[in-house]
Amino acid sequence: MLLGTIIYAVINSVILILMSIGFNLTFGISGISNFAYGSLYIFAAFTTYMLLQLVGLPYPVAALVSIALTAVIGALMYRFILMRVRGQVLSEVIATFGIGLAILEFFRYLGFVGVEYALPVFIDDSFMIGEVYVDAQRIIIVAASVVLVGLLWVFVHYTSLGLAFRGIAQDERTALTFGMDSDWIATLSVSLGAALAAVAATVIIPLGTISVSQGYDVLINALAVSIIGGLGSTGGVIVASLLVGFAQRFTDTYIGSHWTMIVSLAAILIVLVIKPSGIYGKQKELEERI
Amino acid sequence: MRRRLWAVGLFLATGLMFSLCAYAAEPIVIGVPTSTGFVEGKEGLAIVEMAVAEINAKGGVKVGAEKRMFKVEAIDIRDAAPGVPVPEALMGIEKLILEKKPTVLLIGPFRSEALLAAMDILTKYKVPLLGTIAMTPATEGKVKQEPDKYKYVFRTCLNAIYLVKNLVGTMSHINKEFGFNKVYIMHQDVAWARATADGMVKNYFQKAGWTVVGQESYPTGAADFSSALMKARSAGAQVILPIFDMPQSGTLVKQWKAMKVPALMAGFISPLAGPGAWKTFDKKIGGAINCNFELGSAIASPKVPQSVAFLKAYQKKMGKPMEAGHGPAPTYESVYILKEAIERAGSLEPDALVAEIKKTDRSGVMGRIKFDEGNQAVFGMDPKEAAVASVFQWNDKGERVTVFPESIADAKIMLPAGLKSAK
Repeated sequence: MLLGTIIYAVINSVILILMSIGFNLTFGISGISNFAYGSLYIFAAFTTYMLLQLVGLPYPVAALVSIALTAVIGALMYRFILMRVRGQVLSEVIATFGIGLAILEFFRYLGFVGVEYALPVFIDDSFMIGEVYVDAQRIIIVAASVVLVGLLWVFVHYTSLGLAFRGIAQDERTALTFGMDSDWIATLSVSLGAALAAVAATVIIPLGTISVSQGYDVLINALAVSIIGGLGSTGGVIVASLLVGFAQRFTDTYIGSHWTMIVSLAAILIVLVIKPSGIYGKQKELEERI
Repeated sequence: MRRRLWAVGLFLATGLMFSLCAYAAEPIVIGVPTSTGFVEGKEGLAIVEMAVAEINAKGGVKVGAEKRMFKVEAIDIRDAAPGVPVPEALMGIEKLILEKKPTVLLIGPFRSEALLAAMDILTKYKVPLLGTIAMTPATEGKVKQEPDKYKYVFRTCLNAIYLVKNLVGTMSHINKEFGFNKVYIMHQDVAWARATADGMVKNYFQKAGWTVVGQESYPTGAADFSSALMKARSAGAQVILPIFDMPQSGTLVKQWKAMKVPALMAGFISPLAGPGAWKTFDKKIGGAINCNFELGSAIASPKVPQSVAFLKAYQKKMGKPMEAGHGPAPTYESVYILKEAIERAGSLEPDALVAEIKKTDRSGVMGRIKFDEGNQAVFGMDPKEAAVASVFQWNDKGERVTVFPESIADAKIMLPAGLKSAK
């Protein structure tokens, strides 16, 4: 039982990492809280579904096209709406939340309700780890997450664009003096965040079905993990996901499944009380020290 | 002279046209206030329109000496969506009543608390409701306590008590066939599912000598059931009883298959109801047993030919099969119950209509329909005697085979790999 709980806790944590890394990356670079993040996740899922079922594209092609389209939506969102309100936090939140609502309710209006919307698993099999059966899709999620985090690390440390991302994230005004286009980088950050939401949808959705209401759940999970880890910190997201993921599964196994949501919320409250900027957060670090 | 004749003819023709228009402009309005953003509401509304089209195509409804058409007016009251307060649903119902002046309401709220609160509105405006989703028996209690006040509320679908009776029947059948008596209960953390699970423990498992090796409740939206499945395995559960109506609950069956848990999965998981579930869940649901609340709701039986014809007609109209295992059949029946009641009453006067609805005795897609003193359609185990639910098992070919009640069963229950009969 203990081994099984640990295995599924790792998987749960990795799912949380995948769900929140895009949201956190966008905030870390451009300072924009993209409240349309969950909607972009659902947009990608339904787009993949339509390309697969209605257009008849092979799954990998459908997934890639869907990721690209979601990235374009993210970029357009920034260029046409967010650029005008950038820096006004409340306006950014209202604008992105409004866009998110519009996307989700549009799908509902189009009749995307019911349980028939799903994406197929990549490999239809399950494997035994120790004495515990784990399906191949969950193993793929873990592998995809490790690869994705690794690629992101290489990208931001060894490519000029990635270094520009970090430059803007560290000090936007100084980066401007070096000729970096802040709006262009912000566009790319929102776009990349959206693309990461699409990647998450493509690998996680095959575990279940696509439903409009999931958009809100994804946003809440991304917010919870990012707040605990510290908004803008990738390391924080990973640590927070592991904390919440393990806490949820152990609570589920040894206390009761209906307590799992309470554990996540309690973790947010405790972190906010002890360290308001989150585990690795930099936003108010100086104020906290003073 | 000829010119005068033309003028008179034109005058008469215009008069006739106007009178025909006036005649056509007075259809009988059926109001449909429900959550159309959910599959049961969406398909339910399509079925009301289908039944209305059938009736109108045959000339409409005879009200006294005249024939009148049905007309459908719907509103999305969104009560099934998380976080939508009951007053918002009530406002939707009242708006529909005041603006569209319906003679009767069909389907109605999803949530029992919304239905209970709506009962006074229905009394205020004297608009009968034939409800087909919300399942609380509390409405029947109110009808029985104050029949004159609440006589306008009927329910044609299964209620929570009948659901428990069907699940008890299924468990009893499993016990008789295989000698199983260890159950692990997993249910959604919502009122109706909790009440059903507790009802099963109190009214059946404890009395029939079963051991409940675990009971787990899941918040709506939960999508990982690995812990409970591991616990069920280690506790030696022979049967897992799931009670869920959230979209994510289909994942439970996929995980049960992937984790190769040697226990029979038998209960209610709403996403498993329709034929599309086989494809949706990657053909990973073979062996699962599911209770569709009414025969005709996404499953038919050749022993009730009306149910077969109903599903065929739906597929022909919509171009795809029905998926909701709760609501469609009683909704279809409700339109015909209404038609027959109007024709018997010869009037649209609410009290006369209600009195005639109460006298209903018809054989339709879910069996024989009669109402009890609480205005609840009577459910039983034989479609010749009462309305019936349908408990079926997914086989490994992706077919749904009815296994209970015995009066409509097509096959015996098959055990999943790794599980042997205890007999």
